Amino acid sequence: MNTPERSSAFILDDDEEKIEYAADTKVSNAGTFTFNKEDHTVGNLLRMQLLRDPAVKFAGYMHPHPLVHKIHLKIQTSTSQVAPAETLSAAIEDLSNETDHLITQVTDAIDKWKKENTDMMGM
Amino acid sequence: MPQQRFPKVEILSIAPHAISFVLSETDTSMANTLRRIMIAEVPTLAVDLVEYSENSSVLNDEYVAHRLGLIPIRYTPEGSMKGGDCHQAFLPHRECVCFDRCPRCCVEFELDVNFDKVNPTRPDQERDLPLTVTSRDLVCRPPMDVGMSLNATYTRQMQISNNILVAPAHFLNEEEQDESHDEGISIVKLGPGQHMKLKAIARMGISKEHAKWCPVAVATYRFWPVITINEEACNMLTLEQKQELVEACPDRILELDEITGNLVAVENAFEMATFTEDLKVAQDAMKKRPEDDDFVHVVQSTDRFVFSVESTGAMDAEDILLSSLRVLKDRLNYLAAEVEKMKD
Repeated sequence: MNTPERSSAFILDDDEEKIEYAADTKVSNAGTFTFNKEDHTVGNLLRMQLLRDPAVKFAGYMHPHPLVHKIHLKIQTSTSQVAPAETLSAAIEDLSNETDHLITQVTDAIDKWKKENTDMMGM
Repeated sequence: MPQQRFPKVEILSIAPHAISFVLSETDTSMANTLRRIMIAEVPTLAVDLVEYSENSSVLNDEYVAHRLGLIPIRYTPEGSMKGGDCHQAFLPHRECVCFDRCPRCCVEFELDVNFDKVNPTRPDQERDLPLTVTSRDLVCRPPMDVGMSLNATYTRQMQISNNILVAPAHFLNEEEQDESHDEGISIVKLGPGQHMKLKAIARMGISKEHAKWCPVAVATYRFWPVITINEEACNMLTLEQKQELVEACPDRILELDEITGNLVAVENAFEMATFTEDLKVAQDAMKKRPEDDDFVHVVQSTDRFVFSVESTGAMDAEDILLSSLRVLKDRLNYLAAEVEKMKD
């Protein structure tokens, strides 16, 4: 009766936006992004990539409650020239390029393995 | 862009149902994300709706429907020998524009087994014994007589071979097939006078919604062990002490080189290394002073991972890996677009 649909873990509600932003009132150059219907899969990946950016002073994510499907990602940059949203875009782009690189690497590795191993079978 | 990583992949082995590879020069977050996507977010086909005409078996409707849902369903693209990724041929049901169901989002299977009709055809020694209804009895038929719906002409034309290319994955490989007593995955057993007739509709979905859509049995990774052997310290050990160190480790990651008598790591140490505390304890006992350097130091690598992925049969293991990378890419693209939208 009260059970939410399983699909509500990954399908956005009608009134929800995917990403919401709230600038931090007490700290300069900082803000918290809320990703709706996301979990550690994307959160940890983005956070670790943000930590590699020299313009990022602080990056952390949390999943406030396991039954509520959203994550908070807080980013603070070291200068006011760079906005947190820009570092986030850069991080996503880097990860996207890394994934493309991985796709080519995996397809090449699979082709290479198949070639080497079907040669051995002498077919 | 400056902070991009350039990971490397080396395949260790590929079988249709399992793949083992080494992912290096990337962070644990990427390895974990790939693992999580392989388990939870790779789309596959599974039975989602069951319409019963007859069920006089000993298991009730929901029970049998649950079992039908767990049967792995394999899609083979037209003209291909091996199974493929279903995401190109099908749409998730909630995204499909059709009224109720169509060949683009659903695949229909029929099952009609009547004990009394099948019994006379069975060999003598099996006659009158319980009849096992298996996944072989799930037959895929193109949608006929859908002329009841509004777009009759449309659906007749859409009798694509989509339906013929989809079948349950009865066995993982030939060995399993040879060893099994049944012809496929057993669903229910029927006795005299029992009849099961149903229509099962399979849809595409992800494991986050229900575990029946999970394409993997196992998707894990271990850390590559970095074994450093301190030559100077080892030279001070006697041969017996070195042999003791070799035997101390239950995983046998060390061995004595025959010619030089030195301690070396075994070639396939990465496969074997799981527990190295025994080695540490044995070394502490041998050291003259506790703060001396270790003779052999084993630590987990922070950027090299050995993945092991085993499929349920619904997809080939390499396709699961490629599909998970595609899902990750699509997700990142979606998030990038959303961030752009939000900046304005």
